[in-house]
Amino acid sequence: MAEDRARPGELDQTKYDADDSVKIICLGDSAVGKSKLMERFLMDGFRPQQLSTYALTLYKHMATVDGKTVLVDFWDTAGQERFQSMHASYYHKAHACIMVFDVQRKVTYKNLHTWYTELREFRPEIPCIVVANKIDADIKVTQKSFNFARKFSLPLYFVSAADGTNVVKLFNDAIRLAVSYKQNSQDFMDEVLQELENFDLEQKAAGDPAPDREQRGAVEGPAPS
Amino acid sequence: MTCTAKKCGIRFRPPAIILIYENEMKGKNRQRIMPVRNFSKFSDCNRAAEQLKNNPRHKSYLEQVSLRQLERLFSFLRGYLSGQSLAETMEQIRRETTIDPEEDLNKLDDKELAKRKSIMDELFEKNQKKKDDPNFVYDIEVEFPQDEQLQSCGWDTESADEF
Repeated sequence: MAEDRARPGELDQTKYDADDSVKIICLGDSAVGKSKLMERFLMDGFRPQQLSTYALTLYKHMATVDGKTVLVDFWDTAGQERFQSMHASYYHKAHACIMVFDVQRKVTYKNLHTWYTELREFRPEIPCIVVANKIDADIKVTQKSFNFARKFSLPLYFVSAADGTNVVKLFNDAIRLAVSYKQNSQDFMDEVLQELENFDLEQKAAGDPAPDREQRGAVEGPAPS
Repeated sequence: MTCTAKKCGIRFRPPAIILIYENEMKGKNRQRIMPVRNFSKFSDCNRAAEQLKNNPRHKSYLEQVSLRQLERLFSFLRGYLSGQSLAETMEQIRRETTIDPEEDLNKLDDKELAKRKSIMDELFEKNQKKKDDPNFVYDIEVEFPQDEQLQSCGWDTESADEF
């Protein structure tokens, strides 16, 4: 993909093709609590890698699903508009999405529409969970209906990164959804991408030097900045 | 020394933070005047508050006074020094210490965003259950059924096309 080639090495996403590895992305406006949710789930176990050029934070996690070990990368990005140019690589190969809004700020709920439209542009089929965060600030919101989730038939979770309500359940469910999506993926785009990559490999085997690809493969994972 | 803070305020002329407190001798209020030096309408209230709170001579007296309160008092002084009315300063403080729920924070730069986050962090920290709290539970599951009986959140528009 073009966005990979632009910065070789920094964002190696080929590992997400391996069976035991999934990528989960977090979407939502600035300050809705995406990073705080991540930190509450991972507690001390988190070792985030910052990629400041992308305002991107990667959290690595090891989970067990149906007795199998799964390596999970959570991609957490800044909601700020000036980082929107990285969105294509952000969505690339994602297996599930966690989409967060702040129950205290209407604008973050309204913006779900933009996030969701963009998500579906790149990943038409991946599972997506809508998250109403900060319910500790106003527990009454849990007795209200939010049409956005209903309209797109998405699960809605009421959570609080502060007191921990439903945070662990949210992430464990997201991981399970990501794994099951990966196993049963019928995403047209995935198949096309797979075809393209096979084609690439064949070319390489045939002696095509493809320098940018080689360089990309040489660096494992993103370098902390 | 045990010192129970009762009230803390600011005097504009000459500028001083004044603390009313009670020491071991219960029932007898005492007053401590802490002069504010080198403070102008261009000064940073947060830094001034930190300096006062860490001042070796005043430190023990100010233990129970929050940094936030001291910062507010310095904001009053700064407003006074810039010629604002008390009402104007209070309005300014309110704007700086609360979140406008309509504001789109995606449009802010890092510095402004960090300000808003620090306001939100106050509530977060107040409600936060930390790992070392005695009744901390890692996995808390609470069911909030979403059925048809629910009242609308009020954020959805009437039209069927929009949410």
